[in-house]
Amino acid sequence: MIKPWARRAIGASIALAVGIAISGCSASGAGTGGAVSADGEYSGPDVDVTFWHGWTGGAAPTIVPQLIQKFNAEHENITVKAVPQEWGDITAKMPLAIKAGKGPDVAVLHGDDLATYAAQNLLQDAGGIIDGLGYSGDDFPKGVFDKGNFRDAQYAVPWSVTPLGLYVNKTVLAKAGITEIPTDEASYTAALEALKGAGVAGEWVDGYVFTGTFEFQSLIWQFGGDMYNDDVTEATFNSEAGVKALTWMTDLVKNGYSPANVAQDGNIKALIAGETAFNWNGVWQTTNSAFADLDWVAAPVPQIGDEKAVWSSSTHWVFPQNKGQDKNKTAAASVFVKWMNDNSMGWAETGELPAANTVREDPALLEQYPNLEPFMNELEYAHYETVSPGISEANAQITLALNEALTGKKDPKSALDDAADKANQILKANQDKYGD
Amino acid sequence: MTNTAPLVATAPQRNGAGGRGSRPSARRPASGRKTLTAYLFLAPFLLLFLTFVVGPAIFGIWMSLTNWSPFREVQTFVGLQNYINLFTPGTVTASDFWKSMSVTGIFIVASVPFLVVVPLLVAILLNQRIRATTAFRTIFFAPYVLGVAVIGVIWGYILDTQSGILNHLMGLIGLPSNVPWTVDVPWVWVSLVGVTVWWTMGLNTIIFLAGLKGINADLYEAASLDGAGTVNKFWNVTIPGLRPVMTFITTTTILASANMFGQSYLLTKGGPGTETRTAIMYIADQGLSQNNMAPAAAMSYVLFAALAVISVINFRLQRERVEKGLK
Amino acid sequence: MTTVLSRRSMPAKRAWAQVSLYVVLIALALIIVLPLAWMLITSFKTDADAVRAPYSLPDPVSIEAYQTLLTSGQQPIFLWLWNSFAAATVQTVLILVTASMGAYALARLEFPGKKIVFGAIISTLLVPPVVFLIPNYLIVQNLGWLDTIWAITVPGAASAFGIFFLRQFFVGLPPEIEEAARIDGAGDIRIFLQVLIPLARPALATLAVLAFLGNWNDFLWPVYVLLSPENLTLQPGLNQLQGAYSTHFAIVMAGAVIASVPVLILFGIAQRQIVESVAGSAVKG
Repeated sequence: MIKPWARRAIGASIALAVGIAISGCSASGAGTGGAVSADGEYSGPDVDVTFWHGWTGGAAPTIVPQLIQKFNAEHENITVKAVPQEWGDITAKMPLAIKAGKGPDVAVLHGDDLATYAAQNLLQDAGGIIDGLGYSGDDFPKGVFDKGNFRDAQYAVPWSVTPLGLYVNKTVLAKAGITEIPTDEASYTAALEALKGAGVAGEWVDGYVFTGTFEFQSLIWQFGGDMYNDDVTEATFNSEAGVKALTWMTDLVKNGYSPANVAQDGNIKALIAGETAFNWNGVWQTTNSAFADLDWVAAPVPQIGDEKAVWSSSTHWVFPQNKGQDKNKTAAASVFVKWMNDNSMGWAETGELPAANTVREDPALLEQYPNLEPFMNELEYAHYETVSPGISEANAQITLALNEALTGKKDPKSALDDAADKANQILKANQDKYGD
Repeated sequence: MTNTAPLVATAPQRNGAGGRGSRPSARRPASGRKTLTAYLFLAPFLLLFLTFVVGPAIFGIWMSLTNWSPFREVQTFVGLQNYINLFTPGTVTASDFWKSMSVTGIFIVASVPFLVVVPLLVAILLNQRIRATTAFRTIFFAPYVLGVAVIGVIWGYILDTQSGILNHLMGLIGLPSNVPWTVDVPWVWVSLVGVTVWWTMGLNTIIFLAGLKGINADLYEAASLDGAGTVNKFWNVTIPGLRPVMTFITTTTILASANMFGQSYLLTKGGPGTETRTAIMYIADQGLSQNNMAPAAAMSYVLFAALAVISVINFRLQRERVEKGLK
Repeated sequence: MTTVLSRRSMPAKRAWAQVSLYVVLIALALIIVLPLAWMLITSFKTDADAVRAPYSLPDPVSIEAYQTLLTSGQQPIFLWLWNSFAAATVQTVLILVTASMGAYALARLEFPGKKIVFGAIISTLLVPPVVFLIPNYLIVQNLGWLDTIWAITVPGAASAFGIFFLRQFFVGLPPEIEEAARIDGAGDIRIFLQVLIPLARPALATLAVLAFLGNWNDFLWPVYVLLSPENLTLQPGLNQLQGAYSTHFAIVMAGAVIASVPVLILFGIAQRQIVESVAGSAVKG
């Protein structure tokens, strides 16, 4: 079945290509095999480890190769080969590639994808690996490690967290005579009002995933609500808290604090162009090169509701369950994961917070990347994405509701109610589809 | 496969209408050796076609009759359930699917006339005695060489409600400068149709242009001698002469519009709400992103059936007109 | 083209019509060209200026975007260009060979099952392509073609469009051309190679450009079947350059310029033949 690589008639070097391991390893194997010693070193035969990730922009094209080169230099029997591609492309191709035995040996996924992969038997139970590496939930920000838990098995090791924050164009803010960065509902509204007086729409709100949906989720948690009930069998984003959150967003337009009909990315473009003062956006923007000669600052998102809360995403290491996965490769991959987490200080260069507490709490990090401080402070009350197989399909309904409400197609309540009805149907279908 | 007969039947008529004086092809008795030769000529294509088109198409039909998922070991046969769900109000997919079908329908109706008429007019202009036709031809064809991803980026940048240059220019000449081109109806339709015309008009233009070159110049001379004006000549000489080309273009254009997906995926994200989420966009999302391949396959075949009906109607209409034209 | 008609002296009314004709054509050409020009202009801005000054000309003119693209260690864009070129060429050749042979049989030979074969080919044009994706993935996987050039050339060569297109052209050719050759004792293969193919050269050129363009611009299928960065083609590769989160317009536009220039050159070379040949296929078919 496996045609030799020589069949490739034209094209690129294949020297690094990873062949299919046909060693016939048991498919259900957990743990690291016998090749990782107690001190976390891999002692098996020479292996190539394929690593898929989605960091293609910003500083990542420099950082990732550097880290990997360093790792490869330090480990003579392991060669890690990184395959960068769009996150969306990974979502599209990885499941089929794993089934074909052509997936990576290690990959990074977002928190909300983990359960979907696990439910489809695409990931190895990493409990043994994690025990071997000595990780537990206490090594990471509260709530992040558990995102990798699905049906009592642990599938993932946290790598980074990416909370939302408030980006401020200080030049624009000064136009309204404001010097203090707002922190709560009263001061935020006052600032928006003052900006309006100065002829500036202070916060441009959009009805797209980036970043309207993140803002809505932050707000619903601030108002004491949640997206779904505890066992994710029912959508609750149309609760009173949800309606309050969405109404607050549509009121931004109604009160003239935001223009109507903002296109996707319109708000971050406006912040850079000096047309707005505030943008709720992810920590990843801290390294946006377009900010270079902007007078800007980041702050925690203001507390609009009754409690502090903010949306955050997280990324996690996973070990795909390739057809015929080579245990030695998985073992070497686990060594790579540990090494990366230990050496993730430079990762902040890509605008993500390293998940490992030891690295993040090292004062050297903030010395080097002072912009990260507000985001770091948010982690105590950050909420991460919902984990449940097929959840992204239900989540898409939230964005739909936002879009409909912000374009005036429906009022916030009916938009959310309709979306919740559809989401409930999807959750039910997911239970059949992914078993329970 | 009811749609095939009219297609086959149309071809000879095109010859007749094209004024190229074609004859029925020379019929020789089909001997065994002839048949073998013919199939040998067809063999390379048929091998590919059976493997990568017919096989998958049949596999797709089977998928639509199961709860198929590439990630499950055992697939269960569910009969017509996936189809029944699409026709049962209140199921997860029914309303979304039919909404997306109506979006595709709207796009076909809104775009095809422009995609046919604009290139026709441009081709007529280019067919006049002018200099630099080669340059104009290249210019009009140029957008067509770009991939849809690039089209999405360029126009997303130009059509941004607040920072797009189109609204900026409109503001400079006193028009509204906050038109939500990619955000709200009806503007999203204007954008989608406009961008599609901008992107693909070059193809139909050069086909029409070629068709115009094929019309016998004597016919125009004769019409002129009869005292026909420009408009008169257009309706009585140009249009009848272009009928076979018109059939070709309407067919391929309707199919292309029915498959529209990239423009709304990239420019409007299907919004506002689901107002511009086309059938293909919805099917692709269900099948590939949401891991609902079996229902997506069923939807594909419902769309196939709809397109087959439209194609049959299109060919019937064209044939009727051809017959009338010949009288 | 226009030289066929002799230029006569024009009365004033004709001259006026001529001027307005140019005005309309130039206006239309501007509508076509301006967005493309905007793409080119934006590609020469700095990352920040593309967002901050979307309406002005580049100041300063920056080749930063092109530098980022061409020197990134993680994005081997020249390799992708080469891969795209190789794949588009291989697929174009496959389509030209298989479609011309098949179209010859369907148009010029009589055999039982002809209408059924042709009807089946045409009707598959109506099946939404998304249906084929996963079955073809499984086929390509079983052939061992994942992550090879075959995956992005062979399945796509089963093009109903190509055979439909060429058949329409062949059907329109008068039967005398074969009869003359047959009297000279030529067989089907010789007629095909020495009579029909030369006559069909313009149609083949058109199909070549369209096939090349189709493969060159495909970005969904390669994403699924190409796994290694060094095997990637240009379109899915360019997707990466948008970065995960940010909007780097200058870089994206520069990528678009790099991707479209080779195809525009190809069209420039082939365009005279294309115009002639589309005439052939559409009118005669």
